Amino acid sequence: MKNKQYIILLLSLVSVLILSGCGPAHITKGSAFPKMYEQQPRSLLILPPMNESTDAEAKDYYMTTIEMPFALMGYYTFPTEMVSDIMKQEGVYDTEILYNMPLTKYYDYFGADAVLFTSIKKWNVSYAVIASTLTVSIEAKIVSTKTAEELWKYTGTVVVDLSGGNSSGGGLIGLLAKAIATAINTASADYVHYAKIADKRFIYTLPAGPYNRHYMQDQSVELINQTKQH
Amino acid sequence: MKRKTTLFFILAFITYITSGCSTQPKPLYTYGDYSEAYYASKKELTPESALRLQKSIEYAIENSGESSSGRVAPGLYANLGYIYLKTGNSSKAIENFKKEKAIYPEAAHFMDRMIKKVEVAQGKTDEK
Repeated sequence: MKNKQYIILLLSLVSVLILSGCGPAHITKGSAFPKMYEQQPRSLLILPPMNESTDAEAKDYYMTTIEMPFALMGYYTFPTEMVSDIMKQEGVYDTEILYNMPLTKYYDYFGADAVLFTSIKKWNVSYAVIASTLTVSIEAKIVSTKTAEELWKYTGTVVVDLSGGNSSGGGLIGLLAKAIATAINTASADYVHYAKIADKRFIYTLPAGPYNRHYMQDQSVELINQTKQH
Repeated sequence: MKRKTTLFFILAFITYITSGCSTQPKPLYTYGDYSEAYYASKKELTPESALRLQKSIEYAIENSGESSSGRVAPGLYANLGYIYLKTGNSSKAIENFKKEKAIYPEAAHFMDRMIKKVEVAQGKTDEK
Protein backbone atom coordinates (compact mmCIF):
# COMPACT_ATOMS: atom_id res chain seq x y z
CA MET A 1 0.00 0.00 0.00
CA LYS A 2 2.74 2.41 0.98
CA ASN A 3 4.73 1.43 -2.06
CA LYS A 4 1.86 2.35 -4.35
CA GLN A 5 1.64 5.80 -2.83
CA TYR A 6 5.31 6.33 -3.39
CA ILE A 7 5.00 5.29 -6.98
CA ILE A 8 2.13 7.68 -7.56
CA LEU A 9 4.07 10.48 -5.96
CA LEU A 10 7.13 9.69 -8.06
CA LEU A 11 5.07 9.47 -11.22
CA SER A 12 3.41 12.79 -10.59
CA LEU A 13 6.78 14.40 -9.89
CA VAL A 14 8.20 13.01 -13.11
CA SER A 15 5.21 14.22 -15.09
CA VAL A 16 5.54 17.70 -13.61
CA LEU A 17 9.18 17.68 -14.57
CA ILE A 18 8.40 16.60 -18.11
CA LEU A 19 5.54 19.02 -18.55
CA SER A 20 7.49 22.00 -17.29
CA GLY A 21 10.41 21.02 -19.49
CA CYS A 22 8.12 20.93 -22.50
CA GLY A 23 6.75 24.42 -21.86
CA PRO A 24 8.91 26.38 -24.30
CA ALA A 25 8.90 24.00 -27.24
CA HIS A 26 12.19 23.55 -29.02
CA ILE A 27 11.57 24.72 -32.54
CA THR A 28 14.28 24.80 -35.14
CA LYS A 29 14.58 27.09 -38.15
CA GLY A 30 14.06 24.09 -40.39
CA SER A 31 10.83 22.97 -38.72
CA ALA A 32 9.46 26.48 -38.32
CA PHE A 33 10.15 27.71 -41.85
CA PRO A 34 10.55 24.66 -44.13
CA LYS A 35 9.41 26.59 -47.21
CA MET A 36 12.38 28.93 -46.95
CA TYR A 37 14.63 25.90 -47.45
CA GLU A 38 12.47 24.47 -50.22
CA GLN A 39 12.14 27.61 -52.30
CA GLN A 40 15.49 29.19 -51.38
CA PRO A 41 14.70 32.78 -52.33
CA ARG A 42 17.83 34.77 -53.15
CA SER A 43 16.36 38.24 -53.39
CA LEU A 44 13.96 40.20 -51.21
CA LEU A 45 11.94 43.15 -52.37
CA ILE A 46 11.37 45.29 -49.31
CA LEU A 47 8.13 47.20 -49.63
CA PRO A 48 7.41 50.35 -47.63
CA PRO A 49 6.01 49.39 -44.23
CA MET A 50 2.33 49.34 -43.48
CA ASN A 51 1.69 51.71 -40.62
CA GLU A 52 -0.90 50.52 -38.15
CA SER A 53 0.48 52.62 -35.32
CA THR A 54 -0.77 56.00 -34.21
CA ASP A 55 2.44 57.77 -35.24
CA ALA A 56 2.27 59.09 -38.80
CA GLU A 57 6.04 59.44 -39.10
CA ALA A 58 6.77 55.86 -38.05
CA LYS A 59 6.55 54.60 -41.63
CA ASP A 60 9.31 56.80 -43.03
CA TYR A 61 11.56 56.29 -40.05
CA TYR A 62 11.11 52.55 -39.79
CA MET A 63 11.80 52.15 -43.49
CA THR A 64 15.39 53.26 -42.94
CA THR A 65 16.11 50.31 -40.64
CA ILE A 66 14.92 47.32 -42.70
CA GLU A 67 17.43 46.99 -45.52
CA MET A 68 20.61 46.40 -43.53
CA PRO A 69 19.67 43.44 -41.29
CA PHE A 70 18.19 41.44 -44.17
CA ALA A 71 21.22 42.13 -46.37
CA LEU A 72 23.56 41.15 -43.54
CA MET A 73 21.63 37.90 -43.17
CA GLY A 74 22.73 37.08 -46.73
CA TYR A 75 19.89 38.11 -49.01
CA TYR A 76 20.01 40.40 -51.99
CA THR A 77 17.87 43.31 -50.88
CA PHE A 78 16.52 45.70 -53.48
CA PRO A 79 17.19 49.36 -52.62
CA THR A 80 14.13 50.36 -50.57
CA GLU A 81 14.11 54.06 -51.30
CA MET A 82 14.45 53.56 -55.03
CA VAL A 83 11.78 50.83 -55.13
CA SER A 84 9.36 53.00 -53.18
CA ASP A 85 9.95 55.95 -55.54
CA ILE A 86 9.51 53.81 -58.62
CA MET A 87 6.23 52.41 -57.37
CA LYS A 88 5.05 56.00 -56.95
CA GLN A 89 6.18 56.82 -60.49
CA GLU A 90 4.12 53.86 -61.62
CA GLY A 91 1.16 55.47 -59.92
CA VAL A 92 1.00 53.40 -56.74
CA TYR A 93 1.10 55.71 -53.76
CA ASP A 94 -0.91 53.72 -51.29
CA THR A 95 0.89 51.05 -49.29
CA GLU A 96 -2.35 49.14 -48.99
CA ILE A 97 -2.54 48.78 -52.77
CA LEU A 98 1.08 47.60 -52.82
CA TYR A 99 0.26 44.95 -50.26
CA ASN A 100 -2.68 43.67 -52.29
CA MET A 101 -0.99 43.58 -55.69
CA PRO A 102 -0.60 40.25 -57.42
CA LEU A 103 2.81 39.01 -56.35
CA THR A 104 3.81 37.94 -59.84
CA LYS A 105 4.00 41.65 -60.71
CA TYR A 106 6.96 42.00 -58.38
CA TYR A 107 8.66 39.17 -60.16
CA ASP A 108 7.91 40.57 -63.60
CA TYR A 109 8.99 44.11 -62.80
CA PHE A 110 11.90 43.65 -60.40
CA GLY A 111 12.83 39.99 -60.79
CA ALA A 112 12.39 39.52 -57.03
CA ASP A 113 12.12 35.98 -55.68
CA ALA A 114 10.17 37.10 -52.63
CA VAL A 115 8.59 40.18 -51.12
CA LEU A 116 9.16 41.36 -47.56
CA PHE A 117 6.07 42.87 -46.00
CA THR A 118 6.46 44.74 -42.74
CA SER A 119 3.80 46.16 -40.54
CA ILE A 120 4.26 48.59 -37.68
CA LYS A 121 1.86 47.40 -35.02
CA LYS A 122 2.94 49.71 -32.25
CA TRP A 123 5.18 52.76 -32.16
CA ASN A 124 4.28 54.76 -29.13
CA VAL A 125 5.07 55.90 -25.64
CA SER A 126 2.49 55.46 -22.98
CA TYR A 127 2.91 58.17 -20.43
CA ALA A 128 2.23 57.52 -16.82
CA VAL A 129 3.28 59.40 -13.76
CA ILE A 130 5.18 56.52 -12.26
CA ALA A 131 6.46 54.59 -15.26
CA SER A 132 6.42 55.55 -18.92
CA THR A 133 7.07 52.84 -21.48
CA LEU A 134 8.08 52.99 -25.11
CA THR A 135 6.77 50.19 -27.33
CA VAL A 136 7.90 49.32 -30.83
CA SER A 137 6.24 46.29 -32.35
CA ILE A 138 6.92 45.10 -35.87
CA GLU A 139 5.46 42.20 -37.81
CA ALA A 140 7.43 40.96 -40.80
CA LYS A 141 6.75 38.28 -43.39
CA ILE A 142 8.36 36.97 -46.53
CA VAL A 143 6.07 35.84 -49.32
CA SER A 144 7.14 34.04 -52.48
CA THR A 145 6.47 35.90 -55.75
CA LYS A 146 6.19 32.58 -57.57
CA THR A 147 3.81 30.58 -55.40
CA ALA A 148 2.34 33.39 -53.22
CA GLU A 149 3.10 31.20 -50.21
CA GLU A 150 4.17 32.68 -46.93
CA LEU A 151 7.75 31.51 -46.36
CA TRP A 152 8.62 33.21 -43.09
CA LYS A 153 6.83 35.34 -40.52
CA TYR A 154 7.83 36.84 -37.23
CA THR A 155 6.97 39.61 -34.81
CA GLY A 156 9.52 41.64 -32.92
CA THR A 157 8.44 43.68 -29.95
CA VAL A 158 10.51 45.91 -27.72
CA VAL A 159 9.10 47.46 -24.59
CA VAL A 160 11.33 49.90 -22.79
CA ASP A 161 10.82 51.38 -19.38
CA LEU A 162 11.69 55.03 -19.80
CA SER A 163 11.45 56.05 -16.19
CA GLY A 164 14.90 54.65 -15.51
CA GLY A 165 16.37 54.63 -12.02
CA ASN A 166 14.28 55.92 -9.19
CA SER A 167 17.11 57.79 -7.56
CA SER A 168 15.99 61.30 -8.43
CA GLY A 169 12.91 61.81 -6.39
CA GLY A 170 11.08 64.42 -4.49
CA GLY A 171 7.62 62.99 -4.00
CA LEU A 172 4.82 63.40 -6.47
CA ILE A 173 6.14 66.63 -7.95
CA GLY A 174 9.44 64.96 -8.70
CA LEU A 175 7.66 62.08 -10.43
CA LEU A 176 5.52 64.42 -12.45
CA ALA A 177 8.56 66.38 -13.55
CA LYS A 178 10.17 63.12 -14.60
CA ALA A 179 7.14 62.09 -16.65
CA ILE A 180 7.23 65.41 -18.48
CA ALA A 181 10.96 65.09 -19.06
CA THR A 182 10.35 61.63 -20.54
CA ALA A 183 7.76 63.03 -22.92
CA ILE A 184 10.14 65.71 -24.11
CA ASN A 185 13.17 63.45 -24.38
CA THR A 186 11.54 60.70 -26.43
CA ALA A 187 12.74 61.88 -29.80
CA SER A 188 12.13 59.97 -33.03
CA ALA A 189 15.75 58.80 -32.94
CA ASP A 190 14.93 56.75 -29.85
CA TYR A 191 12.17 54.95 -31.70
CA VAL A 192 14.53 54.13 -34.53
CA HIS A 193 17.06 52.80 -32.05
CA TYR A 194 14.49 50.45 -30.52
CA ALA A 195 13.06 49.54 -33.91
CA LYS A 196 16.54 48.30 -34.80
CA ILE A 197 16.50 46.13 -31.68
CA ALA A 198 13.08 44.76 -32.69
CA ASP A 199 14.56 44.00 -36.13
CA LYS A 200 17.41 42.09 -34.51
CA ARG A 201 14.91 40.04 -32.50
CA PHE A 202 13.20 38.68 -35.54
CA ILE A 203 16.10 38.61 -37.96
CA TYR A 204 17.85 35.88 -36.04
CA THR A 205 14.91 33.52 -36.66
CA LEU A 206 15.36 33.96 -40.42
CA PRO A 207 17.16 31.18 -42.29
CA ALA A 208 20.46 32.48 -43.68
CA GLY A 209 20.48 33.76 -47.25
CA PRO A 210 22.77 32.80 -50.14
CA TYR A 211 25.44 35.36 -49.24
CA ASN A 212 25.68 34.16 -45.66
CA ARG A 213 28.19 31.40 -44.87
CA HIS A 214 25.50 29.46 -42.99
CA TYR A 215 23.29 29.27 -46.09
CA MET A 216 21.34 25.98 -46.14
CA GLN A 217 23.20 24.81 -43.05
CA ASP A 218 21.18 26.35 -40.25
CA GLN A 219 18.08 24.12 -40.30
CA SER A 220 18.88 22.70 -36.88
CA VAL A 221 19.42 26.06 -35.19
CA GLU A 222 16.95 26.32 -32.34
CA LEU A 223 14.64 29.25 -31.94
CA ILE A 224 14.10 30.49 -28.44
CA ASN A 225 10.59 31.51 -27.65
CA GLN A 226 10.93 35.25 -27.33
CA THR A 227 8.74 37.07 -24.94
CA LYS A 228 8.30 40.75 -24.44
CA GLN A 229 11.23 42.01 -22.49
CA HIS A 230 14.18 44.25 -22.90
CA MET B 1 61.61 36.36 -9.40
CA LYS B 2 58.48 38.03 -8.11
CA ARG B 3 59.04 40.88 -10.49
CA LYS B 4 59.22 38.50 -13.39
CA THR B 5 55.87 36.96 -12.55
CA THR B 6 54.16 40.34 -12.25
CA LEU B 7 55.72 41.36 -15.54
CA PHE B 8 54.45 38.14 -17.06
CA PHE B 9 50.97 38.82 -15.81
CA ILE B 10 51.01 42.37 -17.10
CA LEU B 11 52.17 41.17 -20.50
CA ALA B 12 49.55 38.42 -20.53
CA PHE B 13 46.90 40.93 -19.63
CA ILE B 14 47.94 43.27 -22.43
CA THR B 15 47.92 40.43 -24.95
CA TYR B 16 44.50 39.38 -23.70
CA ILE B 17 43.09 42.87 -24.17
CA THR B 18 44.58 43.47 -27.61
CA SER B 19 43.67 40.01 -28.91
CA GLY B 20 40.15 40.50 -27.63
CA CYS B 21 39.84 43.52 -29.87
CA SER B 22 41.19 41.90 -32.99
CA THR B 23 39.08 38.74 -32.83
CA GLN B 24 35.83 40.67 -33.27
CA PRO B 25 34.22 39.11 -36.35
CA LYS B 26 34.03 41.41 -39.32
CA PRO B 27 30.54 42.22 -40.60
CA LEU B 28 29.47 40.83 -43.97
CA TYR B 29 29.34 44.33 -45.45
CA THR B 30 30.62 47.80 -44.64
CA TYR B 31 27.83 50.32 -44.17
CA GLY B 32 29.56 53.16 -42.32
CA ASP B 33 26.89 55.55 -41.13
CA TYR B 34 24.58 54.85 -44.08
CA SER B 35 21.63 53.94 -41.84
CA GLU B 36 21.97 57.14 -39.79
CA ALA B 37 22.38 59.27 -42.92
CA TYR B 38 19.36 57.61 -44.53
CA TYR B 39 17.33 58.33 -41.40
CA ALA B 40 18.51 61.97 -41.31
CA SER B 41 17.46 62.46 -44.94
CA LYS B 42 14.04 60.99 -44.17
CA LYS B 43 13.64 63.19 -41.13
CA GLU B 44 14.40 66.32 -43.04
CA LEU B 45 15.34 66.38 -46.70
CA THR B 46 17.74 69.26 -47.18
CA PRO B 47 20.65 69.69 -49.61
CA GLU B 48 22.92 68.93 -46.62
CA SER B 49 21.16 65.72 -45.57
CA ALA B 50 21.01 64.55 -49.20
CA LEU B 51 24.73 65.18 -49.58
CA ARG B 52 25.43 63.37 -46.32
CA LEU B 53 23.52 60.34 -47.61
CA GLN B 54 25.47 60.34 -50.87
CA LYS B 55 28.77 60.70 -48.97
CA SER B 56 27.84 57.82 -46.65
CA ILE B 57 27.10 55.54 -49.62
CA GLU B 58 30.38 56.53 -51.29
CA TYR B 59 32.23 55.88 -48.04
CA ALA B 60 30.61 52.43 -47.67
CA ILE B 61 31.58 51.57 -51.26
CA GLU B 62 35.18 52.77 -50.85
CA ASN B 63 35.61 50.81 -47.63
CA SER B 64 33.88 47.61 -48.75
CA GLY B 65 37.24 45.82 -48.64
CA GLU B 66 37.16 45.96 -44.86
CA SER B 67 34.13 43.69 -44.66
CA SER B 68 34.30 39.90 -44.46
CA SER B 69 32.79 39.53 -47.95
CA GLY B 70 34.93 42.27 -49.47
CA ARG B 71 31.90 43.13 -51.59
CA VAL B 72 29.86 46.31 -51.79
CA ALA B 73 26.57 45.77 -49.90
CA PRO B 74 23.43 45.03 -51.95
CA GLY B 75 21.66 48.09 -53.27
CA LEU B 76 24.41 50.62 -52.61
CA TYR B 77 25.51 51.06 -56.23
CA ALA B 78 21.85 51.17 -57.25
CA ASN B 79 21.16 53.83 -54.62
CA LEU B 80 24.12 55.89 -55.77
CA GLY B 81 23.04 55.54 -59.39
CA TYR B 82 19.57 56.66 -58.44
CA ILE B 83 20.95 59.76 -56.71
CA TYR B 84 22.86 60.60 -59.92
CA LEU B 85 19.71 59.98 -61.94
CA LYS B 86 17.74 62.42 -59.80
CA THR B 87 20.40 65.08 -60.28
CA GLY B 88 20.35 64.56 -64.04
CA ASN B 89 23.65 62.74 -64.44
CA SER B 90 22.43 59.91 -66.68
CA SER B 91 25.81 58.46 -67.63
CA LYS B 92 26.92 58.16 -64.01
CA ALA B 93 23.55 56.65 -63.16
CA ILE B 94 23.92 53.95 -65.83
CA GLU B 95 27.53 53.32 -64.77
CA ASN B 96 26.40 52.58 -61.20
CA PHE B 97 23.40 50.49 -62.25
CA LYS B 98 25.80 48.35 -64.28
CA LYS B 99 28.06 47.93 -61.26
CA GLU B 100 25.13 46.78 -59.11
CA LYS B 101 24.23 44.21 -61.72
CA ALA B 102 27.83 43.02 -62.06
CA ILE B 103 28.12 42.20 -58.35
CA TYR B 104 24.58 40.92 -57.84
CA PRO B 105 22.99 38.98 -60.70
CA GLU B 106 19.74 39.04 -58.68
CA ALA B 107 19.49 42.73 -59.58
CA ALA B 108 20.04 42.26 -63.33
CA HIS B 109 16.39 42.31 -64.34
CA PHE B 110 15.62 45.49 -62.42
CA MET B 111 18.85 47.26 -63.38
CA ASP B 112 18.36 46.48 -67.08
CA ARG B 113 14.91 47.97 -66.82
CA MET B 114 16.32 51.11 -65.21
CA ILE B 115 19.15 51.43 -67.75
CA LYS B 116 16.65 51.11 -70.59
CA LYS B 117 14.44 53.77 -69.00
CA VAL B 118 17.36 56.19 -68.67
CA GLU B 119 18.50 55.54 -72.23
CA VAL B 120 15.00 56.16 -73.61
CA ALA B 121 14.79 59.40 -71.63
CA GLN B 122 18.24 60.37 -72.87
CA GLY B 123 17.23 59.71 -76.48
CA LYS B 124 14.23 61.96 -76.06
CA THR B 125 16.30 64.85 -74.73
CA ASP B 126 18.85 64.39 -77.51
CA GLU B 127 16.14 64.71 -80.15
CA LYS B 128 14.94 68.03 -78.80
